[in-house]
Amino acid sequence: MSELLRAEHLTRHFKIGGALSRRTLHAVDDVNFSIGDREIVALAGESGSGKSTIARLLARIYSPTSGEMYFQGQPVSALRSRSDRLRYSGLVPMVFQDPFGSMNPVFRVQHGVLRSLKLHRPELSGQQRQDEAARVFDVVGLGADMLERFPFELSGGQRQRVGFAQALAMRPKLILADEPVSMLDVSIRIGLLNLMVELRDTMGVSVLYITHDIASARYVADRLIVMYAGQIAETGPIEDVLASPRHPYTQLLVSAVPDPRAPLSVAAETDRGEPPKVIDPSPGCRFRWRCPLAIDTCAQVTPALAELEPHHQTACHVAQAQPEGAEPVQAFS
Amino acid sequence: MSEAHEILEVSGLSVDYVLDRGDVRAVDDVSFTLNRGEFLGIVGESGCGKSTLLFAVAQLLAPPARVAAGSVAFEGTNLVGLTDKQLSAIRWRDMSVVMQSAMNALNPVKSIGAQFKDAMKAHGKPSNEEIQARSAEVLRMVGIDPVHLKSYPHQLSGGMRQRSMIAMAMLFTPDLIIMDEPTSALDVVAQRSLMVQIKELQLSYGFAVIFVTHDMSLISHFSDRLMVMYAGQVDELGATRTVFDRPLHPYTQGLLEAFPSIRGPKVPLKGIPGSPPDLARLPSGCRFHPRCPLAVERCTQVAPDLYEVDQALVRCLRRQDGSLPLEAGQEGSLSR
Repeated sequence: MSELLRAEHLTRHFKIGGALSRRTLHAVDDVNFSIGDREIVALAGESGSGKSTIARLLARIYSPTSGEMYFQGQPVSALRSRSDRLRYSGLVPMVFQDPFGSMNPVFRVQHGVLRSLKLHRPELSGQQRQDEAARVFDVVGLGADMLERFPFELSGGQRQRVGFAQALAMRPKLILADEPVSMLDVSIRIGLLNLMVELRDTMGVSVLYITHDIASARYVADRLIVMYAGQIAETGPIEDVLASPRHPYTQLLVSAVPDPRAPLSVAAETDRGEPPKVIDPSPGCRFRWRCPLAIDTCAQVTPALAELEPHHQTACHVAQAQPEGAEPVQAFS
Repeated sequence: MSEAHEILEVSGLSVDYVLDRGDVRAVDDVSFTLNRGEFLGIVGESGCGKSTLLFAVAQLLAPPARVAAGSVAFEGTNLVGLTDKQLSAIRWRDMSVVMQSAMNALNPVKSIGAQFKDAMKAHGKPSNEEIQARSAEVLRMVGIDPVHLKSYPHQLSGGMRQRSMIAMAMLFTPDLIIMDEPTSALDVVAQRSLMVQIKELQLSYGFAVIFVTHDMSLISHFSDRLMVMYAGQVDELGATRTVFDRPLHPYTQGLLEAFPSIRGPKVPLKGIPGSPPDLARLPSGCRFHPRCPLAVERCTQVAPDLYEVDQALVRCLRRQDGSLPLEAGQEGSLSR
């Protein structure tokens, strides 16, 4: 699998408070990852963990405080001209979380598709644009009659499909999907998830699937990145990570997923930890306040990702200190 | 509180939205009972009438919505038709409501403590010491340090805000707490811990809970009984475990098959095709038939009643009298 996009030491800080305030919020701190061709990568984490900030950095809505992103080997920060930037945003479009807020209510739903076609593929004639819009609507499972509808006439699931159609019209390589199904009803979520898999299989599109729902991530994704407080806690092939999570936060995340098929039981140990402080954080592991396994080192040294199993990396001092082949310690089960 | 008895009996409840283009029935002939200390889960898609039903039970409906028929008997009193004054004696003291979004339900310019005080002063004349003591006590019950009585809503995390809403609902230790998707704004970890906490509080203080959610998996381990709603009607009502182990209605079956699992083999899922009907233009016959994989010709003509099957209720013609087979394909199901 060839590499499509790589982020190196990607960092984004936000200044907060008044003009005289020196406080900074570390939304994303020194994050490294890559996304391959024809790959669905799930980015999971709680609200405030920096997963949406990463999507916005990749979409060039924010520029990084430091670090660099490489798309098809080229540094993204080097894209200066308007045509280069347009080409990039066509290749890496974004699908937003809220299907109700991301469409202009006074225009027909084809408006967005036609406009982005005009902008990103100026070589097409008016009729070709119409044909192309009908084609992408067909790909996402909407009839051509939908083109003429207004957003209020569509259900949430249909609107999210329009979002994907809009992204597809630009012939993308990588779709940034920021919680695309979290506002949809359970019964129609699966349809969208299946669509993402289909786009990968038939059109070779990669997807960065941002979610806090680990179960849906497992359903679609090839690889999983777990974020905590702006840093990557654990990453690897999704089946491996979920089968043997090594980071205590991943273990907590996996244990919290409600599973109606599991036998009836109410877990005894529950985590009541509060969100981490990401404003001017001190060195050390950011999960240590919630971690039952924390040792002295955790308060002094920020753990780095290390490969504990093939392709499966974990940023945890306790897991890394374990002798090879030992049964992984369980913080939450 | 020794023997289980009903504290709430909803019978034949229908709610209409009175609109210019005609009335739309959002809740259609819903009946159920709730025993003291019971946890009832209500699930359904957006627009199925579950929130309207809650509002009708709590008598919080505002125009254009109105109760068209039926009654809500709470501890023997029919709430439908009571005046606001009569209702306010019951509200919060005997029955309280936790809304979906704590950020909108809490007053942003008042501290948590001041809001607790308001609620307590609305029902009697407690002294400042009593207010202080009780407020601190309920906050401690939900695992929040009482110093936060001085905090404003924006100073609390999402999970803490929801927990302080629950604390507020427990000020008078009511007999019934109605919860409208209290966890939907939280991530899975916070969601899980809040659910466990609600269950623990319920077990220790014995109040009954009506819990509305669109996420069936969330309440699978917490509710005693489960009611599935579709297009304003009850589709299935039974013991939670029974519904999960042996769903009778094709809609319930579809909902259960719509969850990817985190364990076990990965299986392709289908979800439920189509979308819920427009309540102003309901399909003929069974309201679910356009999306139902098992629908036959008769489903398009005959509206099913609720049929009793092994102590559960289900609204499906296949369960009526055994005249239709329970599996698809045996009787020329509608091709689609």
